[in-house]
Amino acid sequence: MSKFVFGGSPHIKSPKTTKGIMIDVCIALMPAVIVGIVFFGLNALIVMLISVASAVLAEFLYKICFMKKSPRDFVNEFDFTSMVTGLLIGMNMPPLANWYIPVIASFFAIMIVKMLFGGTGKNIVNPAIAGRIFVFLSFGIVAANGFIEPITNAGSGFFATGDVVVAGSTPLGSMLKDGDFWATNLQLFLGNVPGCIGETSAAALIAGGLYLVCRGELDFRWPLIYIVVTGLMAVALNGFNFNWFLPSIFSGGLMLGAIFMATDYVTSPNTVLGNVIYFIALGVITAVLRHNNGTEVVSFAILLMNLTVPLFDKYIVPKPFGFVKKAKQAKKEA
Amino acid sequence: MEKFVQKTFPHGVHFHDNKELSKDVPLERMPAPSDVFISVSQHIGAPSSPVVAAGDKVVKGQLIAEANGGLGSKVYSSVCGEVVAIVKKAGATGAVSDHIHIKTVESEECMTLADIDKNDAQSVLQRIFEAGIVGMGGAGFPTNVKLKPSKPVDTLIINAAECEPYITCDYRLLLEKADQVIAGANYLAKACGLDNVVFGVEANKLDCAELLMQKGAKVTVLKKKYPQGAEKELIYAVNGRKVPCGGLPMDVGVIVQNVATAFAAYEAVELNKPLYERAMTVSGRGVNSPKNLIVANGTSYQDIFDFCGGLNEDALKLISGGPMMGFAFIDTSISTTKTTGSILALTKKETSLMQPSPCINCGRCARACPMNLMPMYIDFYTLAGDYDTAVKYGALNCFECGSCAFSCPAKRAIVQSVRLCKKKLKERK
Repeated sequence: MSKFVFGGSPHIKSPKTTKGIMIDVCIALMPAVIVGIVFFGLNALIVMLISVASAVLAEFLYKICFMKKSPRDFVNEFDFTSMVTGLLIGMNMPPLANWYIPVIASFFAIMIVKMLFGGTGKNIVNPAIAGRIFVFLSFGIVAANGFIEPITNAGSGFFATGDVVVAGSTPLGSMLKDGDFWATNLQLFLGNVPGCIGETSAAALIAGGLYLVCRGELDFRWPLIYIVVTGLMAVALNGFNFNWFLPSIFSGGLMLGAIFMATDYVTSPNTVLGNVIYFIALGVITAVLRHNNGTEVVSFAILLMNLTVPLFDKYIVPKPFGFVKKAKQAKKEA
Repeated sequence: MEKFVQKTFPHGVHFHDNKELSKDVPLERMPAPSDVFISVSQHIGAPSSPVVAAGDKVVKGQLIAEANGGLGSKVYSSVCGEVVAIVKKAGATGAVSDHIHIKTVESEECMTLADIDKNDAQSVLQRIFEAGIVGMGGAGFPTNVKLKPSKPVDTLIINAAECEPYITCDYRLLLEKADQVIAGANYLAKACGLDNVVFGVEANKLDCAELLMQKGAKVTVLKKKYPQGAEKELIYAVNGRKVPCGGLPMDVGVIVQNVATAFAAYEAVELNKPLYERAMTVSGRGVNSPKNLIVANGTSYQDIFDFCGGLNEDALKLISGGPMMGFAFIDTSISTTKTTGSILALTKKETSLMQPSPCINCGRCARACPMNLMPMYIDFYTLAGDYDTAVKYGALNCFECGSCAFSCPAKRAIVQSVRLCKKKLKERK
């Protein structure tokens, strides 16, 4: 036997790996995670730990039980995608969520939405979004309760829980329902308002997004289009009142959705034109549904648009370098 | 401040070129090995027919195989010696062909071709055929055929991009033999009635670009990017013309030739020397002393590695050609041809042994593709057996540069999928 290896070209590969990208995404989510813990206390940390652990466990169980793999295979193949999913689910939970809610969300996301469809890269919708929507629709009030005032505002200690606030009285909720802008833009930007653990701080999420852009994992144009279109549509729907612009983009789940969930590689188009249309459509749908329903709809908008992605790549195919139109060619030859 | 305007094409990939390993090593002539195996199939046309038999004495520069058919090419002996046998042997690509085995004897004897009229386009063209010159960048297309385009052309581009990592033989040729390469390029231009010759030089060889300019050659400096040396990308960067899909450079009035080919043309016309040796780079961190060599045609890779101090412990993957488009080999007894521009021995650190994992649809392949295709879908549909859809996403426009597979974080074997697709479509016809 020769000591040399054989293999097809190219013989050199870029150092970037799927695992590396997913670890980068985890790193990019860290500012928002930390801000969430600071504002919502240890409960928030526990919720996120539960959801990450159950997401990884779900993948492990699926591979062992249904794919007959050994634990060793699982470790070798582990690419951190389920960790990202679990983390996103945790960040989308209210700080006082009952322990079983993130567990169910993670198991649904990994087992049903991701693994049943073929695992990494084969899911047709974003698992984290599907998981979140699944529990919010299934458990209704139980899942939607548990929003608290940031503990920093209450002045209570790190281990205490803040005052529970009524569902729907998050800044976005009161803004959409009653036109009540009680939170300042600065508050919304920094994130010390009631909301899901990881979605309140626009500043932390933008910082994470910038990290991804610098690492080359994210094209800044796409979240930017989504966010700006949503803001402008909100302005237009409210009689061109520009006071709506900043609160619309800083509140609710838009930042988290636009930067980390809508841009998920698997469930977004692959062409420039496709992406432009996709993210504009997302922005329009988000703003219109928010306006009409008076509630947060970012995850529903993304879920809806996820389903259209195969169509984008089917009908928008870039012209190859040196493409000549058939008619033009025929004319030239004639 | 950029000294030159750097031109390029859309997309492509950037990587460290590793040329520093052999960049500063001057060209050196490797002594003739004890045995050479000269293939009769060193070009893309029909294999040449041997005109020598076992037991015949041959001298350096003697014709040993006659051209066959319209895309044929002549083959000359690279050493003095005795023909031992004609054997079937695998080449670097794995294709088996007849090889003429010659045992070398010490001799200074050398045969040259007859003098010709250097000012006559027809006789220059004939000489290029006589000398057995083929495209030395890797394709092996007979140069005389390429110089007789069926459409009007106005520009000859000399491809000095050398965009593959590690390879430095064209760089050394340009640096050390600039006059000869320019003269050769002018002969190539003369053969097809052109007077417009442009050198396309990548920006990592600015010293070459300046040298060529000093000597009065027209130079376009190209951005350092892969695959800048691919014909269509090169033409677009140099004069902004897009070769139509499925077309040839002559469709936009251009002929592209390699630096080594130009040098071979110089030797054939000026020195009456047929093509039986060429410059090549032996590099990679698995080789003890990387070198730029002038090697006799048919020298075995083992002899070349031995001449370069042998392979070290870490050598893991051996490659004939560049690391992006070359062929891996494990049998070092294969021998060089007219198109062998480099032999590399890569270490574990340099090459990648990662196994493919599922595609995550990140789109890096499409952003890298110089042909603006969608490699992720070509891969997907080919593996699913749906070749027609793979064609819709551009499988037939792919020239297998490997930019997609290079940039793929899931390490998918996209180039192999493309080849499979093309093969299946061919079989269907």
